[in-house]
Amino acid sequence: MPVLEITDLYHRWKGPKPPVLDEVSLSLRAGEVTWIGGRNGAGKTTLLRLAAGILLPQRGTVRIGDLTPRHGGNHYQRQIGFLSAGDRSLQARMRVSQQLDYWARLAYVPRERRRELVEQALGQFGLEEFAQRRVDRMSMGQRQRIRLAMAFLHEPSVVLLDEPRNSLDDEGYALLNEQSERATARGATILWCSPRGEDRVIDCDAGYSLVDGKLERVV
Amino acid sequence: MRLWLDAMWAIMRRDAILFMSYRAQLVSQFLTPLFSLVIFYYISQLFTPSSVDSPGGYFGFVVVGLVIVQILTISLGVMPVTVRQELVSGTIERFLVSAHGPVNGILGAMLFPMVNALFSGTLMLILATLFFGLPLEATAGLAIPVALLGTLAFMPFALFLVAMVMAFKQVSSASGFIVTGVAIVGGLYFPIALLPDWIEWTSEVQPFTPATDLLRHLLVGTPLEHPAEIELLKLVLFALALLPLSLYFLRRAIRYGQRTGTVAEY
Repeated sequence: MPVLEITDLYHRWKGPKPPVLDEVSLSLRAGEVTWIGGRNGAGKTTLLRLAAGILLPQRGTVRIGDLTPRHGGNHYQRQIGFLSAGDRSLQARMRVSQQLDYWARLAYVPRERRRELVEQALGQFGLEEFAQRRVDRMSMGQRQRIRLAMAFLHEPSVVLLDEPRNSLDDEGYALLNEQSERATARGATILWCSPRGEDRVIDCDAGYSLVDGKLERVV
Repeated sequence: MRLWLDAMWAIMRRDAILFMSYRAQLVSQFLTPLFSLVIFYYISQLFTPSSVDSPGGYFGFVVVGLVIVQILTISLGVMPVTVRQELVSGTIERFLVSAHGPVNGILGAMLFPMVNALFSGTLMLILATLFFGLPLEATAGLAIPVALLGTLAFMPFALFLVAMVMAFKQVSSASGFIVTGVAIVGGLYFPIALLPDWIEWTSEVQPFTPATDLLRHLLVGTPLEHPAEIELLKLVLFALALLPLSLYFLRRAIRYGQRTGTVAEY
């Protein structure tokens, strides 16, 4: 059963350029990992941002059941876990545990589960010993773990990961795979985007390449 | 509602943590109003303007104006800069992908500057009373609910600026322009009666003049030109009319950015 349904998605940036996404359709099913690759600038990040509801479709639809980013309000966003590419979107001067608690509150995690999920996320990404350290005093790899912890913390049904391996060491990568498996085991779907051929190193159920605004199945 | 309040609290706490982590900022927020008070105290010693009908003389008159400038600078001046910083650092993305949403997120980000502005205004009054002998009226306590109402009426101006930041990314010059303009037509440094007739009407079409007049009346006993109920009603009406309008503009600005893709730009 599809969790996230993308239909005929079209997006074109300003200027005389071809569309970055041209009638893209994709169904993400519960318990599956889907990988999308493509060269730099192919439109992977745009596709993820549209799926996350950061951008709104110029044409086409993005749905989780009956919910859309425009009309589903916070019910749509509650289903989404999102990791953007790069190292942004962290509150530099907050401590790691404060950062995760802050995110849990923005994600409307119920009070009775908040502490448990924050502690769980710290443990899942090997961050317990850094819980009281300020984010701007962490290494790039440690920051990436915090960002990943936020993507998984509220147990979303759709996890969107943009270049999740950035700066991760082997241990961090193993923890990411472990959490991906745990998320799919509880019925979540994962969309993993990266420029390299990670379909060969991650255990994905389907793989696509984004070329000239179209998805081509490769796995 | 509980979850909404929790998220609002989280944003306010976040901003308080950030503010407190820069200790020099704390010191400057204490010293800046003190320096302003020193300057205007000695200016007020130079002359006794006949146009100022205030028990505390010009110093009593201008202190309330300075308090409001302080509130405006922190709320109107800081908010667009804060939202711009959120865009640059990518932390606005957290609002966009969260259940709390970008509009609530931005409203939440206004809470700490507003509380800080009110705290800073109160601090200025305390300093003026302790060090410069400002005679406060027995009604000074009533200034707190009026200041809160005034802040609600000022909030839409900050929201308009934030909407412009979301749409055009940079409005730092606009906020300075607005604060200075308000200082002139709101009668913050001198009585509105001194303005030329052709510009006096501007004092009637914004909430800063009634807020200033009411606060002056309650804090230092300056006589009111209009009855207090009328001034209060003006503040309530400005808040009721402008808040929904400014929220509408903010929503539109965010939606525009989400559709064109510029919401992720800075």
